This record gives sequence, C-alpha cells and structure tokens, in this order.
Amino acid sequence: MTALSSAPAAWRSGARAPWWGLAARLVVGGVWIWASALKLLDPATSIESVRAYEILPASLVEPVGYVLPALEVVVGLTLVVGLLTRGAALLSALLLIAFIVGISTAWARGLEIDCGCFGDGGANPDATSQYPWEIARDVGLLGLSLFLLRARSSRLALDSLLFRPPVPATIEGSST
Amino acid sequence: MSSRSAKDAKANARAERAAELLAATERKRRADNLRRGVIVGGLLAVVVAAAVLLSLRSSDQDVVASQVGSSDYGLVVGEVGAPYEIVIYEDFLCPICGVFEQTAGEQLSAVAAAGNVVIDYRPISILGRFGPYSDDAYNAFLVVQEAGGDEVAMNFHDLLFDDQPAEDGPFPEVDWFVEKAVEAGADEASVRTGIESGARMDDVEAATQEAEDDGVAGTPTILLDGVVFNDGGSWEEIARNLIEEIS
Repeated sequence: MTALSSAPAAWRSGARAPWWGLAARLVVGGVWIWASALKLLDPATSIESVRAYEILPASLVEPVGYVLPALEVVVGLTLVVGLLTRGAALLSALLLIAFIVGISTAWARGLEIDCGCFGDGGANPDATSQYPWEIARDVGLLGLSLFLLRARSSRLALDSLLFRPPVPATIEGSST
Repeated sequence: MSSRSAKDAKANARAERAAELLAATERKRRADNLRRGVIVGGLLAVVVAAAVLLSLRSSDQDVVASQVGSSDYGLVVGEVGAPYEIVIYEDFLCPICGVFEQTAGEQLSAVAAAGNVVIDYRPISILGRFGPYSDDAYNAFLVVQEAGGDEVAMNFHDLLFDDQPAEDGPFPEVDWFVEKAVEAGADEASVRTGIESGARMDDVEAATQEAEDDGVAGTPTILLDGVVFNDGGSWEEIARNLIEEIS
C-alpha cells in the first residue's frame, strides 16, 4: 500500500485548503457531539423530546429517539476528525433541515416545547420566544454544513491521509 | 518529410501511452478511494448501530414495579383485584404528567369507580433541580393522606395538577399547599405543621429511591398490568389509548 508513504504529500494537498474549513468542521462537529452526548446518557429524555413534537406516529417515536443521538455522535466525530467529511456534512445538513422543519411546525402549531436539541425536552412555557433563536442557530449550522459539503477538502482532515488526491496531469506528462 | 512524420507518429504514440497510463492511474486512484470510502462508511454504520444498541440496553432495564397496593407511599384508587391494574409514577412538577392528568385523570377515576381498574398512584420527586416544589408537593401530599385519608389525598393530587406551576417556576409559597389541602377537604390544623415543617421528607426520598430501584427512569411512567404503557405519538394520545385499553 502506498497510503502511508504518500501521506506527507497528501497532508500537503490538504494544507492548501483554507483554515476555515477546519474551523467549520470543529464548530459543527463540536455542537453535534455535545448535543448527542447529553441524549446518549439519557435515552428516555431523547424519546420524550421526539414525542413532544407530535409529528411521528407512535411506532416510530422510540426508534427515532434511539437512532438520532447515535447518528448525531457519529456525524460529530467524523466532522471533527475530518473522516468522510462531505458525507458527514451532507448528513449534518439533512438532520438540520429536519430539525428546522420540526421546530418551525411546532411553532406554527402553537406547541410550547423545548426543542430537545441538547437533552432536555418536553414542555417549555418560554418556547415561543426561543424558537426564533433555535431556528437561527440551526440555519447557521446548516450554512456551515453546506459550506463543508461544497469545499472539497479542509486542513488536518483524516480524509487527506486516507484518500489520494488526483495527480496533476502536467507532472506525469512532462516527467518522461 | 517522412522522417518528420515518423517522429510525429512516435511522439503521438508516446503521448497516447502517457495518456493511457494517466487514465489507468486515475481509474486505480478512484477505485482505491471508493473501496476505502466504502470500508470506512461501513465501519461508521457499525458504530451507529453499536451506539443504538448501547443506548437501547442502558435504558431497556424493564420497570418492575411492586404489586399494586404494596408500596408504603402510594395511593390506591379502586378495588384491588379489578380486571386491570395500573401503576402511575409521576412528579407533581412534571409538565407531561400534567398533560396526562388533564387528559386521562377524570376518566381514570371514573373507570376505577366502576370497578374495572385499580390504580396505584406513586408520586416521586425527581425534579429537584428546578427548586423545592417537587419535594414540597409530595411531602404535602403524604401529610394530607395521613391526616385526611385517601379520598382527600386524591382530591389534593388533582388540585395540584389542575393548578400546576411551570417547570422552572415561579413557585407558590408553602401556604399555597395548605390552602389546596383545605380545599381538598383536609382539616387545616392537622396538616399545616406537617406541610410547613416537611414532616414526610424522609418518605419522599425513600419513595423516590424505591421507584428508581424499580427501574423508573422518568415521569410519567405508566404500567398497565405490569408492562410500561407508552403507546402514542403524544401524551394526549397515550392517555386516550390507555383509557380505551381499560374501558
């Protein structure tokens, strides 16, 4: 395998990517890890958070309550270390779109619930004043996720160790 | 002329070979990357599955409640031996418990009165992080039950849920519990001291511990004939489904 011997070149190619790709990864990934850690510790609350949205049928509430935190922690970890970054960014964007839709419909239906984003969940009398901020936060994270999806590489990412970048044609052609 | 065209042809052939080599390298690179991507993606899927299983296991410790009427801190409504048995763990401050009580409370009492169900209400206090309300309310409940009996305690229970404060306050003064107790039918002189001094706080703690030992992880936890009942997309729906189940 040439992966290890070509690693320095790979790091260099990643090093051409802007630093703020790394910054975006750390911010979005960090938020996912934080959000999921609180829920993984307390699955019962995660399930009640999902139920509180009153969107899913009864049979789906528990599965989603279990799967969401697990997805979140993996999306967060892969973003932070830069593993399959674009796939993780896509998943992150899809989850955030789902959350934005969920919070918006809860708001529109007049539900007063905690978004359950970070573990808590259930009723919350102040909810209406918090919905705009929660949506704004998720839109910001969505923007960063889409940026990561578009940026092909970022610094200090495992991806640049694992996957070989295309070799510029000029070097190969002129070397004979 | 001819030597030049031969040279050109040679150069062309060389360029073609180089292009082929490049294309082959590129194909190999893509295949390699795809293979690695699939492997890593597969491993990550395994991690997700493991995380799900782990949280399933950590929470799936079933709730094993002691028999209806056997807790020292509960309130039994209906006749023991009725066709259906329900155990309800609730915190007086828990908003979802409020939703459940508003939706199902009256009907549950009616079905119990008709003899079709026996309900063991087991309050616990798990929301101390918001303030003393959970403790105070449950203490008052026990004091009222001791002084006024089960029926008055049930009224008191219903009154507290009818007028439940928001989870994060503001909370009423202790005197409010005394007013509610009197409204429920208790004799003020017999409950005021106990409510104000927190006479049953030890029992509040013991009851909560007992519920946690039984596997109760949150409120409301409802058991129908010994099995956790949470069939519904919302707690209104769960409450309605429960009533339907026992009617």
